[in-house]
Amino acid sequence: MSLPVKKKVITFFKKKIDENTLKQKKHFFLSFAYFIESFNTYRRIKSFVYNLIENDQYSYKKYFDFFMIIVILTSVTLLVIDVKHHIPVWIDEFDFYFVTSIFILEYLARMWVYSDIHKIIIDEYEESRFFDKRLSFFRLFWKIFQNKWGYISSLSAIIDLIAILPSYRGIRILRVLILFRAFKMLRYTKSLNGFIYVLKNKKFELITLLTLVAFFIFIAGIMLYVFEGDNKNPNIHNLFDAFYWALITISTVGYGDIAPVTPEGRMETMVIVIIGIGLIAFGTSLIVASFNERMSVLREEKVIVNVSRKKSLIVICGYGLLGRLVAKGLQKEGLDFIIIDKDEHLISQAFNSGYNTICTDASQGEIFGKLGIEKRISHVLCLTSDDIQNAFIAINVKSLNEKVHVTVRCSDEEIAQKMEFAHIDQVIMPEEIAGMMSAVYAGEPVAFEVLLSIIEEKEKTQIDEIAITKGSFLEHKTIGDVHFDNYRLILLGIFTSKDNGKTLGEFLFNPSDDYYLHVGDRLVCIGYSTAIANLKKRM
Amino acid sequence: MVDKKNIFLFGYGNFGRQLYKNLFLAGHNIKVLTATAESIVNAQEDKVDLIQINIKRNDDILSLNIDQENDMLYCAMSKTANNLFLVLTLRALFPYADIIAISNSLENTRKLKYAGANSVIDLYEATSRRLINILTKPAVTKAIDEIIYKQNNLKMAEVIIPPRSFLVGMYIKDISFKSMGVVLVAIIDKESEHELVFTDQRLSQQLEAGETLVVVSKIDDLKIFKDLVHSETHPLVSH
Repeated sequence: MSLPVKKKVITFFKKKIDENTLKQKKHFFLSFAYFIESFNTYRRIKSFVYNLIENDQYSYKKYFDFFMIIVILTSVTLLVIDVKHHIPVWIDEFDFYFVTSIFILEYLARMWVYSDIHKIIIDEYEESRFFDKRLSFFRLFWKIFQNKWGYISSLSAIIDLIAILPSYRGIRILRVLILFRAFKMLRYTKSLNGFIYVLKNKKFELITLLTLVAFFIFIAGIMLYVFEGDNKNPNIHNLFDAFYWALITISTVGYGDIAPVTPEGRMETMVIVIIGIGLIAFGTSLIVASFNERMSVLREEKVIVNVSRKKSLIVICGYGLLGRLVAKGLQKEGLDFIIIDKDEHLISQAFNSGYNTICTDASQGEIFGKLGIEKRISHVLCLTSDDIQNAFIAINVKSLNEKVHVTVRCSDEEIAQKMEFAHIDQVIMPEEIAGMMSAVYAGEPVAFEVLLSIIEEKEKTQIDEIAITKGSFLEHKTIGDVHFDNYRLILLGIFTSKDNGKTLGEFLFNPSDDYYLHVGDRLVCIGYSTAIANLKKRM
Repeated sequence: MVDKKNIFLFGYGNFGRQLYKNLFLAGHNIKVLTATAESIVNAQEDKVDLIQINIKRNDDILSLNIDQENDMLYCAMSKTANNLFLVLTLRALFPYADIIAISNSLENTRKLKYAGANSVIDLYEATSRRLINILTKPAVTKAIDEIIYKQNNLKMAEVIIPPRSFLVGMYIKDISFKSMGVVLVAIIDKESEHELVFTDQRLSQQLEAGETLVVVSKIDDLKIFKDLVHSETHPLVSH
């Protein structure tokens, strides 16, 4: 349901509530739910809390994380000191009241932002209206409970809850649970999350490995017990000792507190040590490989965090011959950009050049969502060597946000026409540009050289544009008043402003001296870079 | 407007096609020469007459009757290796010809220049420059389009000062180009032929015969200006 419609529905139901349901018992919850739904400050506070504790992109989250880590470390340090030293009562009380209340607050806050209760109430109510049923209290609470149970039963929430428990000082063993507070730190440090990811990602392989290890320990332990358990080995008293020995041996740790004494036992040891080496190598390679896979994801996340600080971002899709040159040029101009390409090899080249890169398919919407297509991306340049692929990317971007300026590189004229039909802002054809330049060269070779050296900025002389801003000293002056000669600039022409300076209007070549300058007009000047800079500074 | 030139265009792939289109629009006489089958299909589609040659055989090229003093040679073969070899061959056969080559990277530009091309148009360099200019200097890009590329009233042109012109010996700052509808962009010395001197650095310098003025102007005004340059008396002098 779109927002305005929803609002109308809400006000409609609000009235209904006022008229009919006020007498009913549940009216309080309902009107409260509707009140919250329409209460902006509540929503703002909730989204702030959400950002603070859950949103990695939010700039203040790191302060919250840092604060929590300090609190946890304090608590754990107190646990360690408490082993041999006496801790003053006030510190103990600090640990009890302050740390615990922070943890409880955090737990509740996370549960709060996990979902919106008032929405559930409203949905249930609207549904019951729709089917003309009575709204059942029990059903409502069951729904809410089910919803929040999703949070309560999650692993991190369980760790959080256990971390609160040690506050009950009655049972000593509970003190060890303080270490669960250390587990909580996983939440606040991203790199540690990588490890959990690995465990999840390689679940099948790791379970296979563990089953194998368990199997070998089982066999080896029983074997040794049979060989040496009957008082031949004074260190093996029971089956547990034998299993303990098997694990220590198979893991190649080999403490030596229990060692086989019979030839059969030693033979067995030799076999399981070799098996052990194999299993460890397997396990290590598994985890390393998984970390490598994870590395590229972590790198991408870092890139996205990097660019999320930028106000305006240019996306270059395709890092071929053209993409490379454009990236270099944009770097020189000091503009913020990011390179997307499917080819890992090209992306690693771009990465080595120090650019922000992401290796993914730009014809999919996901990446643009992550980069913030709604607010951050100003331009998308589709520069792969494949026309069809460029068209695909361009249409993908336009379908996500029509306002983004999209430029497509294209070699085929027919495809170029189709692009214009799809409202692509700019189609650029390298062959056409070369063709136009060649034609100019054939007509006026010298003029062409001049132009080329100005455009390519090989000489100190440049061609640049200067916009007349509001309140600048050029506003309401005539061209004759300005005396461009004194600024050592050649005025080539003026673009009048259209749509309040957003787009370029008509080009007035060599305007007469009595032309009045307006806000939004753009002067196109040729001159020394320092002369241009001088005039810009005066603006 | 422009002097019509005889142009020999080698290659009719993607580049060649666009070159032909633009050169044709500018009104030059173009002869298309090619060696590959793909180009022949392209040319048939566009109904362009083309001559098949083998670039490895000097006789083929010599039989084209190229006048190396006046004609222009455009090398736009699709394959870089062919293009490079072509430039080398043409330079060896015609030491004074004006050879223009199309390149697709800085790397190849260097090689083509070494092989003897007078001017190299770097496809991607030009495109990327344009892309960046659209982003950073939209007005400049549009102005250049208006002046250079669009087939409209505006033009950038070169005007040589004849020996007995009234301009000889005058100071630039004393000449009211503006009232003639002309913007003077650069002056090229006859001695240091390739050195471009932009007018903003030389306001107080005297003009000499044989120097080339690079101007931007409307086509009608340009004609008047060219006639004016040839006149020996001072028709218009401002202070």
